[in-house]
Amino acid sequence: MSASEVLAATDVARSDRVTRHLLIDRIYHWLTAASVLILMGTAFLPIVGWKFEWLSLHWMTGIVLALLVLFHIVRALIWQDWRAMVVDTADIRNGWRSIARALGIGRRPPGKPGKYKPLQKLYHLAVALLVLSIVVSGLLMLLKIDTPLWRRNPYWFAADTWGVIYAVHGFAAMAMITLVMIHIYFALRPDEWWLTRSMLRGTISRAEYRAHCDSQRWHATGDRA
Amino acid sequence: MHLFRFATSIYGDSDVVIGASWDLLPWFVAAGGAFILVHAVVKAVAGRRG
Repeated sequence: MSASEVLAATDVARSDRVTRHLLIDRIYHWLTAASVLILMGTAFLPIVGWKFEWLSLHWMTGIVLALLVLFHIVRALIWQDWRAMVVDTADIRNGWRSIARALGIGRRPPGKPGKYKPLQKLYHLAVALLVLSIVVSGLLMLLKIDTPLWRRNPYWFAADTWGVIYAVHGFAAMAMITLVMIHIYFALRPDEWWLTRSMLRGTISRAEYRAHCDSQRWHATGDRA
Repeated sequence: MHLFRFATSIYGDSDVVIGASWDLLPWFVAAGGAFILVHAVVKAVAGRRG
């Protein structure tokens, strides 16, 4: 064990809280959540019959979401451990053991996950693909409207290409409804409250850390949030 | 039920796709509701079995 690992272990031992999400990441999460809910409201409420001037709020919030996504990508690649969100061989092995036990064809219990469960990683991948599709198609769709910053140019693409861009935006946005519903459902489930609390407070208890996480796969630090 | 919304092209001789059909909106909501329902039932049954 290196000197820094000894110090980190001592730090964890001193604190009864384990840092899961730094303040900057929690602010990012809740700003993104607010942006997505505003975008869904301004997109779908007029469709279901609630008429209001939705376009300005929609495109401005869309630009905010695009900037948040850019921030998250840069932060994840440079300052965070992006590998913690990638499905690895241990996740596949544990997933297989879970399925085998459920089917009654295996006895070995699955190991604990690292910082994120395999299904959380798959959920993140699905959301990432949808949000990137929405942001890219949405930014292209800005070419169709006048704003204080630019003039519209609807001739950038042919009509059928615009149709594809609008279809991608629409399908991805509707799929986001499904994923947001699932996300809120898990956040409200009592057995997942320890995760929900950590997105509010930034930390989990040491008992939660020991109960839910493999310390070899997620080397957590003490409470510094 | 259509997957896409269509409009007549500016030349008036064909239909062009202009986006996803909003008729699908209830299906995506239903998919989320179905997932939640199935998961909640499975967890409740599994919890009862211990």
